[in-house]
Amino acid sequence: MSRLVEVSDLASCREGLTRERSAWPIRVTLSGGTCGEASGSTGVLKALTTQLHKDGLAEKVHVRVTGCQGFCQEEPLLIVEPLDVLYCNVKSEDVSEIVRESLVNGRVVERLCFVDGASGRTVQRPADLPFFAKQDRELIGHNQSIDPCDIGDYIANGGYSALAHVLTSMSPEAVIEEIRASGLRGRGGGGYPTARKWEQCREASGQERYVICNADEGDPGAYMDRGLLEGNPHSILEGMMIGAYAIGSNQGYVYVRNEYPLAVAHTREAIEQAWDLGLLGERILGTDFSFDVKVARGAGAFVCGESTALMASLEGQVGEPRSKDIHTVERGYLDRPTALNNVETWANVPRIISNGSAWFAGKGTDQSKGTKIFALTGHVKNTGLVEVEMGTTLREIIFDIGGGPQNGKQIKAVQTGGPSGGCLPAALFALPVDYEALSAAGSMMGSGGMVVMDDSACMVDVARYFLKFLKDESCGKCVPCRVGTDRMLEILADFAEGRGTMEQLDTLKDLAWAVGAGSLCALGKTAPNPVLSTLRYFHDEYEAHIRDRRCPAGVCRALARYVIDPDLCADCGQCVEACPHGAILEADVYQIDQTLCEQCGLCAETCVVGAISRV
Amino acid sequence: MARTVTITVDGATIQTAEGSSVLDAALEAGICIPNLCHMPSVSPIGACRVCIVEVVDDGRRKMTASCTLGARDGMVVEAHSETVLRARRHIVELIVAEAPNSRAVQDLAARVGVTRSRYPMRDKHCVLCGRCVRVCDEVWQSKSLGFVGRGGDRHVALPFDKRPDLCKRCNSCVEVCPMTITPCPGPMAVPGICGLCESQTSMVENIPDTCVMCELGRGFQCARWQLRGLLAPA
Repeated sequence: MSRLVEVSDLASCREGLTRERSAWPIRVTLSGGTCGEASGSTGVLKALTTQLHKDGLAEKVHVRVTGCQGFCQEEPLLIVEPLDVLYCNVKSEDVSEIVRESLVNGRVVERLCFVDGASGRTVQRPADLPFFAKQDRELIGHNQSIDPCDIGDYIANGGYSALAHVLTSMSPEAVIEEIRASGLRGRGGGGYPTARKWEQCREASGQERYVICNADEGDPGAYMDRGLLEGNPHSILEGMMIGAYAIGSNQGYVYVRNEYPLAVAHTREAIEQAWDLGLLGERILGTDFSFDVKVARGAGAFVCGESTALMASLEGQVGEPRSKDIHTVERGYLDRPTALNNVETWANVPRIISNGSAWFAGKGTDQSKGTKIFALTGHVKNTGLVEVEMGTTLREIIFDIGGGPQNGKQIKAVQTGGPSGGCLPAALFALPVDYEALSAAGSMMGSGGMVVMDDSACMVDVARYFLKFLKDESCGKCVPCRVGTDRMLEILADFAEGRGTMEQLDTLKDLAWAVGAGSLCALGKTAPNPVLSTLRYFHDEYEAHIRDRRCPAGVCRALARYVIDPDLCADCGQCVEACPHGAILEADVYQIDQTLCEQCGLCAETCVVGAISRV
Repeated sequence: MARTVTITVDGATIQTAEGSSVLDAALEAGICIPNLCHMPSVSPIGACRVCIVEVVDDGRRKMTASCTLGARDGMVVEAHSETVLRARRHIVELIVAEAPNSRAVQDLAARVGVTRSRYPMRDKHCVLCGRCVRVCDEVWQSKSLGFVGRGGDRHVALPFDKRPDLCKRCNSCVEVCPMTITPCPGPMAVPGICGLCESQTSMVENIPDTCVMCELGRGFQCARWQLRGLLAPA
């Protein structure tokens, strides 16, 4: 590909790329994101390449390695076109069969197709997959047709046409107006209207302005941004270029956490390829717009996902938040106006420009427009990246797309919005995915983590887990967050270990409020959410822990203890046989080894004289 | 020269330079907003959160620290609303439970009306206010002290735990430390808030937010401290 010096070069370049791609007779798409690699896609690719060379098919078959396609639990996924068939959980051993049957003879290898658990039928076409069928894969769906390391794929799929359109026929103000009309709101969690942020940044005084892409995704169980950045980095770059043009910036940064090596590598590769083509640099496409992007790697602090801490880290300072009384759009990176948006927000921008704001605003609810990607994890049958239209109910996501509970259990709650989100009970699953609706229910949209829990989860333990994460990740600068989360955790530990009192419960409520009210940054302000939401919806579980010294789910081990009363014991030995964990010791008297005991209660059920009791 | 703006703190109209700290403006005007990490002539960090206030804007209330809050024309601040007092008491309760062995912290507790702490007492020697770190960096240009570690591990340390050559041995870090202010001669060894000090708790038990001539006030340009010689009975 030659350098694009004019806008018209882009169209002719795309024409050439499309022609080249339509000439490929057989196409094999292998998903090789982080989840794919972890499931062995590298080995599959190696086996595939070797096999194709051996069979002399290397010229005829085009192999494309893409990023994550969303159905993470069935990775590595392999799609054969034009046969249009999807294989799941492909292993290196399966490659020769796929090549022989599907690539040479055009037949489907049934045993590798996805079997729908609910209907028991085999699904061949990717589009028929129930997991995909109920989604609206506006953003993540493109991962399937794009090799993240090949800018040609992105351009052939219509990439950078939104940029060309903006540079040639839209004023910066018109771009902001278009984004405003679309109703796009920040996907990082806050839900701040993107157009308002850009406008404030554009109007702020200062010569230099910056755009930043926040890819410091650190929520446990969330990986939407990784999926996008790994699978389609150019869409984020294009979004940033459009944003930079709108606010009047010439320099952008992608702040990505170093624990995402593939995302870092793909973004760097994308930037290099964009430079080579002249899509980054001076006078892009022959216009007056110049722009450059640099990649900055985060060093593993969750708090650096907070905008002011991120900018401090980018400046080379300690990654600690500062007071936001003066917004970063006025004084951000290097005290200059800065527009910082989340990966998913940037990825939405080119699509809004290409398809029009009306198309975007046509999706979703009154206040929340477009689609949102969620990382669906936990106790559901199908896990992975799920992209749905705003306004879709939690029930549809968890049951229709996620396939409902595993092993016939009952789903009890869902944690949305990452560690600082809240736990919503099953009774509220009719709630739509909407910024306001989730906030009103005591949770939040967050960046899109969605952890589903069934009845084997103890909500006190869940609150304790998320709070521990936040306590460990607190920067320690301000008192309410550093000391407050520690004290909340102390109280929860008392509950879980059977030392809790009802007074402590009141203290916990009061403290949770104070931490939320008094903390410096959003991490501290939202840190009490796991506690507040579980207190709100699962108060009975707290009371059971405190009043009855009992954990209803049987998770808090310190609360369950079985003992044998030697006076009542008939020395029959039935309990020893009943115990599946071998925890009952046969000494002079029968005793339960508490370190081995799993608190299942089988011994107590077996005992005919009632010598075993739970205390 | 910065523009002069008018702000309202607890109903009182104050004139101050635009962008200057609301806490400083209030203290200068004789309105005591309790504070701990704040220090004149060094930059504010908003770490202790004791000086939190509510900014009322168009009926919407936003809680923020007044030390890092820049004054804007027409700003309305409430430093002693019910919500602020409730949050401030809880924050001080957390601080006093961390370090009950400091006269300055005990004074602060008495000032905001905290007479007991619901948390088990810890006997820490630092509340991480960062006064020493900032005075070393900003006043003495020495940077001999800094924060190390994150979250619960955060502590103040010398580079490589050795006194560096940059250190001017000025002793400022010790002087500004709220933990080194001469402790109360009473039974401070008792962990907790002893409540025995006549000048403190007993005096303000029923009237919180009354001046207790806190030791920290010495370093704050506190108007009462400056007038102390005049006010005290002969």
